[in-house]
Amino acid sequence: MRRSPVALLIVVATLSGVLWLGGLALAVQDQFFSAANPPVEQKQPRADETKRHDEEIDIVALGDSLTRGTGDESGKGYVGYMVDELRRQTDKPIRVTNLAVRGLRSDGLLRQLGQPEIQRQVAMADLIVMTIGGNDLFQGGEALRLNMKQLDEAKRRYVANLDRIFAALRRFNSEAVIFALGLYNPFSDLGDAKQTSAVVRDWNFASAEVAARYPNVVAVPTFDLFALHVNDYLYSDHFHPNEEGYKRIGGRVASLITLTEEDER
Amino acid sequence: MTKQVMLAVKELRKTIRGKEIIKGISFELHEGEVFGFLGPNGAGKTTTIRMLVGLIRPTSGTVAICGYDLHRQFTDAIRQIGCIVENPEMYPYLTGWENLEHFARMMPGIGADRIMEVAKLVGLEQRIHDRVSTYSLGMRQRLGIAQALLGKPKVLILDEPTNGLDPAGIREMRAFIRFLAETEGLSVLVSSHLLSEIQLMCDRVAIMAKGRLLTVDTVERLLKKQARVDWKAAPIDKARALLAEETEVLRTDEETVVTPYEPDKLAGWNAKLVQAGVLVSKIESRLPTLEDLFIELTGGETIE
Amino acid sequence: MSKLVYNEMLKIVRKKRLWVIAAIIAVLVALFTYAQYRETEELRKRLGTTDWRTQLQQQIVDLQNRLQSPSMSEEWRKYLQIRLKQQQYYLEHNINPSAPGAPTFMRTFIENAIDLFLPLLVMVVAADLVSSEASAGTIKLLLVRPVKRWKILLSKYIALLLSVSLIMLMAAVLSYAISGVVFGYGGFRLPLLTGFVPQGEELNTENVHIIPQWKYILIELGLAAFVSVVVGTLTFMLSVLLRSTAAVMGIMLAALISGAILSNMVSSWHSAKYLFMVNLRLTDYMRGTAPPIEGMTLGFSMSVLAVWGLVGLFVAFLVFTRRDIY
Repeated sequence: MRRSPVALLIVVATLSGVLWLGGLALAVQDQFFSAANPPVEQKQPRADETKRHDEEIDIVALGDSLTRGTGDESGKGYVGYMVDELRRQTDKPIRVTNLAVRGLRSDGLLRQLGQPEIQRQVAMADLIVMTIGGNDLFQGGEALRLNMKQLDEAKRRYVANLDRIFAALRRFNSEAVIFALGLYNPFSDLGDAKQTSAVVRDWNFASAEVAARYPNVVAVPTFDLFALHVNDYLYSDHFHPNEEGYKRIGGRVASLITLTEEDER
Repeated sequence: MTKQVMLAVKELRKTIRGKEIIKGISFELHEGEVFGFLGPNGAGKTTTIRMLVGLIRPTSGTVAICGYDLHRQFTDAIRQIGCIVENPEMYPYLTGWENLEHFARMMPGIGADRIMEVAKLVGLEQRIHDRVSTYSLGMRQRLGIAQALLGKPKVLILDEPTNGLDPAGIREMRAFIRFLAETEGLSVLVSSHLLSEIQLMCDRVAIMAKGRLLTVDTVERLLKKQARVDWKAAPIDKARALLAEETEVLRTDEETVVTPYEPDKLAGWNAKLVQAGVLVSKIESRLPTLEDLFIELTGGETIE
Repeated sequence: MSKLVYNEMLKIVRKKRLWVIAAIIAVLVALFTYAQYRETEELRKRLGTTDWRTQLQQQIVDLQNRLQSPSMSEEWRKYLQIRLKQQQYYLEHNINPSAPGAPTFMRTFIENAIDLFLPLLVMVVAADLVSSEASAGTIKLLLVRPVKRWKILLSKYIALLLSVSLIMLMAAVLSYAISGVVFGYGGFRLPLLTGFVPQGEELNTENVHIIPQWKYILIELGLAAFVSVVVGTLTFMLSVLLRSTAAVMGIMLAALISGAILSNMVSSWHSAKYLFMVNLRLTDYMRGTAPPIEGMTLGFSMSVLAVWGLVGLFVAFLVFTRRDIY
């Protein structure tokens, strides 16, 4: 028989067939018989990457649905509007890392801060903005019916967590200014507004007290922004802000940043 | 003259879905003869031929080729056979040569020289390296013969070999088949639904209808046994009645009565007709055509 | 026998099927390469960084947020949860599961091609191996040779296996060569994690171990070849049973596509796991994503596929050696 491309193909096919069989054998060996050999964890972020002294402004956003922007149909949230505002003031590139998770509570944020990559992100930040505590207090929106004893218990845990959160943030990043946003009362137009507002004020006061213990932590109030005509600034769930509400929050945080930004100090 | 039996078929039957298609066929094919297989479409010729080459498994009965049983000794038996079943479909995307080479690889001891030999034998050596898709029907038919001859078979089985050929092609094919039988000593089994074809090239013929063999005999004997006389007479009814008193009336139509040929009695019958006032315009003795035979054997069924 | 196999390969080659397949692979790989390139660009622009850790962290946070959505189906939640845990694991061990490079592209290409694209290509060859001979009538000339029928069918089956091997080779070589132009050719030694075992909503990381990417790819190619052979065998069986190549293609196509659809909705129909078409995504077990139906494992899926393949082969030989050819 003549030498032909077909014969060559048969040889090639046979050889590669052996390779695939080998792959299959490896699959069986690796997936069924290989000894467990978990890789060593590399917990700490690498030192050489902790802080980049570059031209970029790194903003890390932490917290719950407010920071995520739930309720804003454009999806920007207050972080987005804040950055829009900042871009008008500086030519430097701004990079935002939004690590917020809907429904997050103070204990969840504390756990999140245990992750090495989150720590690395925090370490690289020039600015940190965060909202936390809303879910601790409102617990999905129906929790203001809790009695005083339960509320006190929730506040005690929250304050302890918040303290540890700030401590952790300062440990990873001693320089960046942290803007910790306070709570507003989404129920301020309901019948029991007097009681609910009192609880929120109390909660905000406790948060500000904790913040004051750490350097460069700014407690930013939002309560006043939603005190009047609250429904104009709330999303249809009567809990999260709408676009207008977020614009107000963003504007407030942005206005603080120009005053405290590194270069201008 | 004792001839070797090349193909022996015994009591072959095939039942498909409870219906018996082939109802017990037996015949033998001798060395060096051309054997005709004649029957209308649907008589079971193709089914029978496919059972002879192992494409269809018979319900019962045996096929032996050169002494090998087709089912128990398939490879030995089939090696003795070359065949074309219906149209010889080849691979159109291969050349004629590659097609032959392809089949040669399936048989032991067939090399390039043999491929060239058969290509020359069927007169395809000029175009053998062209793709089959460029071949005319006649060339494909010849390539079909070439592949059948490739393995130096002792028996050649051809199903409707002249199907689709023009008159010149048919003549050529007929001559070629005679050549193979006479010069190469092959035994050939040819099926056809055309009488003229069988009559012209076969030594013996089997007539098949409705899954049965009606008769098997040499063409000559079949025809001689059945010599007959056509009587052209008027009034025809009277003539028929008178002749029926004397002999068997085989057939009548508006003008003619057909009776067996009995040379010594013919004059007497004629005198009787004349005396009775029947006007006889023609008395003709002739050999029957296969068509006559067929109509008589099947009781009036026509071929096409 | 080798001559018979040569015959069958000759016919496959001359029908130009393999070239068509190579062309299809080349075009699709080029397409996917471009799509992937655009996606990484897009991601880079959106996050303002090329740091994979930041990207992965973002993906994790995105997943966490999606998990908060109340209207999520239970299976989807489970699936996301396992993905989340896995990504977290990668991040904690400082391993980038999608470091750019031709080998990584190759790996994801195989993972995405294993249940539909590769079987489809194999189908193109397998569907008409026998049925085309039946419909063209050449089977009559093939079966009146001094060769037993089972040998003829076996030679065709071996030719199919060789073709599967060639298709896999083409997929591997082309996806590497073409994507390398954009992503670079390095990255075979990238460490990857395997051995995740999903258990309900949890991810068991007890058996997790690192293997280099080249090994990972080789394993995936082996698994993909296995899947292709099984799909090829079933197509082959249909090709024996049916005279019409189009009918063979139609049935197989319907089966494959229904498999892709079923995988997303059968979690409550447990006996569906015995269908071959929901078991095609073998590479998912390597990655450790949740199986479509609880209780499915690599061993289970391979066994199911093997049984289907063997039964198909048995039926093909049984029918082919006994059938009357009209």
